[in-house]
Amino acid sequence: MEKLKTILVVEDEKNLRDALVDMLLLENFITLEARNGKEGVTVALSRHPDLILLDLIMPEMDGMTVLKKVRADRWGATVPIIILTNLSATKERQVEDMEEHKLVHYLIKSDWKLYDVIREIKKILKISND
Amino acid sequence: MTKKSTISISDEIIAKLNILAMEKENVRSKLAVVAEELRFKARQLAVTAKEKESVRRKLAITAKEKENIRRKLLITAKQLAVTAREKESVRNKLAISAEKLKSFYGTLEKKVFERTKDLEMARVKEEAILLSIGDGLLATDEKGKIILINRTAEKLLGKSSTEVIGKIFSETILIEDGKGSSIKLEKHPVRMALTNATTTTTTTTAGPVYFYVRKDNSKFPVAITVTPVILDGDVIGTIEVFRDITYEREIDKAKTEFVSLASHQLRTPLSTVNWYSEMLLAGTAGELNEKQKKYLEVLYRSNQRMVELVNALLDVSCLELGTFVIEPEATNIIELAQNVIDEQKPQIDSKKIRIKFTPERDIPIMQADPKLLRMVIQNILSNSVKYTEDGGKIDVYLKKDGRTGKSIHIRISDTGYGIPKNQQDKIFTKLFRADNVRNKDTDGTGLGLYIAKSNVENSGGKIWFKSRDTGEHTGTTFYVTLPIDGIKKT
Repeated sequence: MEKLKTILVVEDEKNLRDALVDMLLLENFITLEARNGKEGVTVALSRHPDLILLDLIMPEMDGMTVLKKVRADRWGATVPIIILTNLSATKERQVEDMEEHKLVHYLIKSDWKLYDVIREIKKILKISND
Repeated sequence: MTKKSTISISDEIIAKLNILAMEKENVRSKLAVVAEELRFKARQLAVTAKEKESVRRKLAITAKEKENIRRKLLITAKQLAVTAREKESVRNKLAISAEKLKSFYGTLEKKVFERTKDLEMARVKEEAILLSIGDGLLATDEKGKIILINRTAEKLLGKSSTEVIGKIFSETILIEDGKGSSIKLEKHPVRMALTNATTTTTTTTAGPVYFYVRKDNSKFPVAITVTPVILDGDVIGTIEVFRDITYEREIDKAKTEFVSLASHQLRTPLSTVNWYSEMLLAGTAGELNEKQKKYLEVLYRSNQRMVELVNALLDVSCLELGTFVIEPEATNIIELAQNVIDEQKPQIDSKKIRIKFTPERDIPIMQADPKLLRMVIQNILSNSVKYTEDGGKIDVYLKKDGRTGKSIHIRISDTGYGIPKNQQDKIFTKLFRADNVRNKDTDGTGLGLYIAKSNVENSGGKIWFKSRDTGEHTGTTFYVTLPIDGIKKT
């Protein structure tokens, strides 16, 4: 049996975080939660999840800063990160940031079904969809 | 009387007679002398008379001549008098004319003076108007030398008219891009207006912004419009209007921030509804009965519509703010169109619409931003699907421009409701929906064609349509042309 994968959900909106966590649990993932960017960095660097779902606009520390801090870490340099946001990627600066930090996937929450998000996670982690 | 007495007396008398005779002789001789004298005098008189006669004759002749001359003189005098009269009349006339001329000249002078004053006033007024315009104003001659600068321009540039007039524009007033490097001479708006003889405008918020460098080397963002001044087909100069757009750019930045904030705030609750409905529908919280499922589906679909509406609004905001990042790349338009059609297949099939996709074979890979191109085709096609009755037909046709080979033509036609003639001019207007479809379908945002048009035009293309509203189902055909070598960056 395959080792269960751990997913860190960094999301300030409780309802969305709960939905994601519920679905991930249903899909046999182990979940970690962070309510803002600062918590996100702490949890990520101490628990080394297999994948991070990262919101952008959050109190305390925004997602872009989290991304930079995680990427600056030796372990964090290669961990897959999905930016799950409702912010349209229209600002050039953000696009540049994302090009600098590889292995980043950018999904718009309201455009994506929860199941599609799960499918995307499985695809990135190379877990077969059953 | 005795004889002696008588002889004595007789002797006496003879003596006496002798004396008398002697006296008579004396007298006679005296008379003879007198006569001689008289004769001499008479002769003298005769001579004198002759001379006198001659003189008289001469005088008579002279008199005649004099008379002649007098007559001639008289005639001449008469003639002179006539001439004099004529002269007098002419002189009079001349005098009148001179008087008239004088008065005319006076009037003329007055008029010239007034006219000059008027003209001067008009010129001063015009100049005052030009110089007082609230935007910066600069005029150059055909060589690009500054011939006029208004007060606003002086103030904005921190340079006085005496410093710049007569100098070459591009050498005197420096333009830089956002990075602080000078704009190349051939890109200088005044230069471009002179060489191309067309109006040149710099962008305000989207794309590269130009900065004018003030005298003190500080800079301000500027919007410039330079128009060539054309007289009899020749460019005789340019006129530039410019304004400081610092404030506009600040507002623009605030708007962009608002859009990103709104997109986040509006989408978060929509995502929540989406995801929870999804989980319920998937049975993650237990099986639902048919009625529950049906109601939940309505919730889910309505929420989806809301998501689409928010997306469309955000697209519009981004379009209007120019914050869309246009990223042209090698795009296979056939594949892209096919994908869009496939995406809408469920709706097409459920309405039993027959769709035909016929791309020509020689369609090349084009330079376009697939996101924008997709939006264009999607919006037109979804309208066709939405506004065509069950069993209708839709035709999607692609071809390369036969004449230039430089653009791609997209044609999407349907057998739908058509666009009412009196509303055809409004169809690309934001939030506009034609009456005939508003009654039939409550879906639709009135944003699709507006977005499509903006995208096409931002890409250097054109969009138009043909539609008859005579009776039902006459259909609509939309045409789009796009340049093959790429969406130009705006």
